[in-house]
Amino acid sequence: MEIRCWRICLMAVAALLTASGAAQSTPLSDRVVAYQIEGAYNAKTHTLDATELLTYTNHTGTTLEKFPFHLYLNAFQPKSTWMTEAERMGNRDFSKGEGWEEKHFGSNEVKSLEVVGEGDLTKQMKFVSPDDGNASDRTVFEVALPKPLPPGQSVQFRIHFVAKFPEVVARTGYKRDFLMAGQWFPKVGVWWNGAWNCHQFHADTEFFADFGTFDVKLILPAKWNVGSSGVQTGAKENGDGTQTLSFHAEDVHDFAWTADSGTIVVEDSIKLSTRTVKIRMLMQPGHMATAPRYMQALKGTMRKFDEWIGPYPYPQITVVDPPHGGGAAGGMEYPTLITADTSWWMPKSLEEPELVVEHEFGHQYWYGMVATNEFENAWMDEGINSYTEAKIMDALYGQTTSVLNSRLATLGERGEYRMSYEPVADRDPISRPAWLFEDNSSYGGITYSKTALMMLTLENLIGEKTVLHGLHEYFEQYKFKHPRPEDFTAAMNQAVGQNLDWYWKQTIYGTQTLDDHILTAGSERVDWYNKAEEKKGVTVYHSEVVVHRRGDFDLPVVLEAKFDDGSAIREHWDGKDRWHRFAWDRKAKLASAEIDPDHGYLLDRDPFNNSWTEKADRKASGKLAGYWTLLTQWLEQALSWLA
Amino acid sequence: MNGSVRSSAGLVWRHQRLVWWIFVVNLVIAWFSSLPARATFSAVLDRSLESAKLVTGFDVGTLALLLERPDVSMRTLASGAAEAGLVFLIYLLFIDGGLFTVFLEDRKLNRAEFFENAGLFFWRMVRLALYSVIPFGLLIAANFGIAGYAGKLSNNAALERLGFFVNIGGKLVIVIVALFVRLWFDLAQARVVRDDERKLCRTLWRSLKLAFGSGRLFASYIGIGLFAAVTFGIGIGVWVYLPHAATGTSFVVLELVTITQIASRLWLKAASARRIALLPVEVELPPPAMDETLVPAIEVTDLQSPPME
Repeated sequence: MEIRCWRICLMAVAALLTASGAAQSTPLSDRVVAYQIEGAYNAKTHTLDATELLTYTNHTGTTLEKFPFHLYLNAFQPKSTWMTEAERMGNRDFSKGEGWEEKHFGSNEVKSLEVVGEGDLTKQMKFVSPDDGNASDRTVFEVALPKPLPPGQSVQFRIHFVAKFPEVVARTGYKRDFLMAGQWFPKVGVWWNGAWNCHQFHADTEFFADFGTFDVKLILPAKWNVGSSGVQTGAKENGDGTQTLSFHAEDVHDFAWTADSGTIVVEDSIKLSTRTVKIRMLMQPGHMATAPRYMQALKGTMRKFDEWIGPYPYPQITVVDPPHGGGAAGGMEYPTLITADTSWWMPKSLEEPELVVEHEFGHQYWYGMVATNEFENAWMDEGINSYTEAKIMDALYGQTTSVLNSRLATLGERGEYRMSYEPVADRDPISRPAWLFEDNSSYGGITYSKTALMMLTLENLIGEKTVLHGLHEYFEQYKFKHPRPEDFTAAMNQAVGQNLDWYWKQTIYGTQTLDDHILTAGSERVDWYNKAEEKKGVTVYHSEVVVHRRGDFDLPVVLEAKFDDGSAIREHWDGKDRWHRFAWDRKAKLASAEIDPDHGYLLDRDPFNNSWTEKADRKASGKLAGYWTLLTQWLEQALSWLA
Repeated sequence: MNGSVRSSAGLVWRHQRLVWWIFVVNLVIAWFSSLPARATFSAVLDRSLESAKLVTGFDVGTLALLLERPDVSMRTLASGAAEAGLVFLIYLLFIDGGLFTVFLEDRKLNRAEFFENAGLFFWRMVRLALYSVIPFGLLIAANFGIAGYAGKLSNNAALERLGFFVNIGGKLVIVIVALFVRLWFDLAQARVVRDDERKLCRTLWRSLKLAFGSGRLFASYIGIGLFAAVTFGIGIGVWVYLPHAATGTSFVVLELVTITQIASRLWLKAASARRIALLPVEVELPPPAMDETLVPAIEVTDLQSPPME
């Protein structure tokens, strides 16, 4: 009897542990927030009627009197800051002056807000616009607590809200039967650096939130496939054409979910250094040819992150493949859920699906775990992630072929970054808040590309392994935290054992650009006055190369000079003056000279003027001119269709 | 292969001098037009080790950085190419008179005869080209419309590939209609040359009716168009598999493609010329004197026309 009781007790404990998933595991983060949300989705009106119970624990060390909340879906209204900026400057979803269409309307309406035990505060909700004073923007509201919240105490908010999803835009919304629910619930701001941080939603900003737990229960159309952050913990058919699904996620700072009537679920797993991770992919039937490509890229990426940066601590990763026409939902990261991007015709030579999966999984580290402020320091997630993307895509698909690998042409990540960085190189500093960039091109070229090029150039200065080691140390120090830029630079300095502030000052905080070039180069015999015939190997030549620092970026210069007897020499210059003359007296003429012979200074805006050869080689210019001639011939023929 | 295709191919073959001539002018105009591009690329690349990335392979990033340089103005280079296209168009309009005379009469003209005919019909060819802008313009507009509609289908239709197939189908229809319009205007050009026709609107109206009644000839146009497309595809296919460094061979292969395209265009013109050559000449008599008896118009068969096939 006793044994039986023990067994029952043990089984009950085991059942409880199982039911709550990993909720009982040791917290990885300080779990400031605990969200419990229950809602029902209406697929006809694309609305979710839900109730959120938010428990906020004050770990700030200070008494909190008011609380700001994000209502991100309110960005999709014509007078919002997001829409105004998108209309005026363009962003990923809209081109400049594209105009407003009703289908893009989205909203997040708070029906009631109550502080549990303290009363209804709905009428005290006040919309604020801390960034631009736009009175029509309703993406942030504040409430003052009747009783201030002392340090170490918790407060509970019960919020009844209705989310109206737009046709998919900015990685959230519906497309036919597909729904990507991102930024769908009222989300509390972050107490950071001694103040509330709760920015309005801008055309080029992403998000910032506190770590915690999420328990979400959704009523959805029956038989729809659903994916979410965290793991599914329950499912029940309601018998009325709906199903109720429960999910749990912990040590994450956001919760997204997706539902679709027509997806195919592909499941697999991967064994990493500390755990086996379940992979769940929700594929569109017409995109199944890409599924193995997604899977290969994802597994390769997970292994590389495990090896270089640190372990992935979550039990699952979900990959969502958006449907055709739903590309605005593609290429997005949420904790333990990412969205990919492909189409039925995607050629194998174009590694876009691989690249997107790699990039978005990388955000599980740079955003997911190292939860930087994406509003103010977008480079710390997008830029650093672009660097690791380049490293991993290079490793998996080749340095010069990781974007495009066709017989006709090739393109690597590094080349792609240089292409987008060059036109905007001196416009904005990396450190600028995302919504203050000159335009979307500058935001992309600087935040993503310049940061990645900064890290790749750093490899050339201190070594690839050293940089990766520094990044690993930074990750270990700041995972499940909200580091600032100075935390990153300090951690890197410490990890690599060098003070690199001179480098960070120019690259992160400055707009200096690098363009060292060979101003003059050549040889003449030392006894130039001598009329005797020159003899190879006997006559002594004075060779010179003048390197000019055309940009305003100080970086040590390495120059490799090659001579016509086959010898070569590498010289160094600290790169501080405007120019430097390298000179040699040798029994050989200068054949070529090259700055940055290892091709590691990827911040250099113009690689063509980095080298000089004594003999002109017309192969490349002849090839391009030949093709240009041919294109002109074909244009002539096209126009002559009128004759 | 129907008789019209075969006999017009024979015409082009017998007068292939015209193909080579047009090709040389096409190449020379393009070559001169591309001199600024040659000089620009040469100044940047010839003494730079970075240029190797464009020789041993074709690195898109390197090319993009080259084109992003302030001293490489793509707008200037592109406008040069567009100007070359206009010059070539004017050149073709100029020689059209001589060219159709050769095809209509199937004999070698001496230089004086050729250019006399070229000059004689030049303005009428220009006017016909201007008229042709209307239907071709409508087709271009239709193409944009179809592409836009197909784009919407690609985003919104339940069937993912519907937009693609609508786009391809629409483009195919537009190509076929464009071939018909070309047939119509080729017939008009040939008629102008044969009959020294000056009333172009009437000629266009008659040619349109003739085009509608020339099913076999239109089939020939489609066949020749198909030939041009297939040879173009084969040429590009061969070029793709050539090593990147084989610049000379690539150039030769793509120039062969160009020659084939020129020959195909002349083949179309020859087919129309043959069709017109077979038509009876309508002689317009001077208005009769008041006191003379009315004489009915007579039909004179062109004795130089090749026999019916």
